[in-house]
Amino acid sequence: MAIPHPRDIQVAVVDWLDERYPFKKAVDEALYQRVPNFANAFYYCFGGMVFILVVFQLLTGILLSLYYIPDASGSPAPAYTSVLFIQNDVYLGWLIRGVHFWGANILIVMVVIHMARVYWTGSYRAPRELNWMVGVIMLLCIIFLSLTGYLLPWDTKAYFATEVTIKIGGSAPLLGGVITQVLQGGPVVGPPTLQRFFTIHVFVLPALITLLMYVHFRFIRAHGISEPM
Amino acid sequence: MAEAPVAKRISRRTFLGWWIASLMTATVVTAVLPILVFLWPAPPKGQRKGPLTVTLDTPIDQLLDGDAVKFNAPTSPNSAFVMADGGGDNAAGDLAFGGFVVKNQGKVNVFAINCSHLGCSIALNKSAKSFDCPCHGSRFHLDGTVLHGPAAAPLSHLTWTQGSDASTIQVDGIVLGF
Repeated sequence: MAIPHPRDIQVAVVDWLDERYPFKKAVDEALYQRVPNFANAFYYCFGGMVFILVVFQLLTGILLSLYYIPDASGSPAPAYTSVLFIQNDVYLGWLIRGVHFWGANILIVMVVIHMARVYWTGSYRAPRELNWMVGVIMLLCIIFLSLTGYLLPWDTKAYFATEVTIKIGGSAPLLGGVITQVLQGGPVVGPPTLQRFFTIHVFVLPALITLLMYVHFRFIRAHGISEPM
Repeated sequence: MAEAPVAKRISRRTFLGWWIASLMTATVVTAVLPILVFLWPAPPKGQRKGPLTVTLDTPIDQLLDGDAVKFNAPTSPNSAFVMADGGGDNAAGDLAFGGFVVKNQGKVNVFAINCSHLGCSIALNKSAKSFDCPCHGSRFHLDGTVLHGPAAAPLSHLTWTQGSDASTIQVDGIVLGF
């Protein structure tokens, strides 16, 4: 019996699926979009790199949440010891946490570069202003993800960095006191602060940024890639 | 002279197709394998297997024939016994959080507390000289064999040795580490 080419197997599987739901049509529409020549430059890839990095963050974040304990009570607090456990005892924990940590750092860099490219090519102009605004909201999401994620290891650096950022928020005119109270969840940075930051970092912002990325990409598809200046 | 036709069983194209397919598979495996490794539970700090020292309410030498004494796994640190054998719901290597030392016709046995039906804690029935399960009415002889169903398998043994005196025994177990 002749050995089949792997593509034959692939075609058989895809055909089986397509007979049951028109996957081919949906995938073709998503994949086979003509890209103009001017967009075949490397600096048009930065947004895609940001997307890949966000996916990496979501994936490694889910993995870290299997071992992380968002509890800042006691000394040493479970939050701190669970991070140590991930780093030192969990198999390849250092790797997954390392990817999450460095991914977060590189993500900030890539977001800034992506934004600079959009500014440089003037891609924010009409009719794409809304997509720029969505992008700015996602930038804020990323910044707040970094801020809230920084507290979670509950070590000295995390604690006092959060003290600083909350003090910055608290320096806002009129609302400063309210912002401090709401962010801290009490009069000092303590266990309630970690609980709040954890919820924002793990539930609120990832859901929001996933939704906004979808909107971002639908806008791109609707507008097409903008011509350079 | 014509050359004999060579049976072409795999073409260059098919070979390269499989080559690419295996490279792609290897790439996916390389990406997924570290995640699977990460998911495999790492033992908590302080987890170790070994004999646990148990103090009995009634020393073995004062235990009457046909009587049994119940004991629990140590809770500081949190520990469990490891069954030596088993049947039904129990199996060798399963954990038990209590047990019985029982003297029956001069012979001392140590059983895990779990009924072999669905794992409830059995209790000593002194008057009937049996172990009775409160959940579904299974009953066992004092030698661990089944007296009455629904349990079909005998009680699980715990591996044990006499401790420093008659009121302590060393039972195979595990310090859980949490």
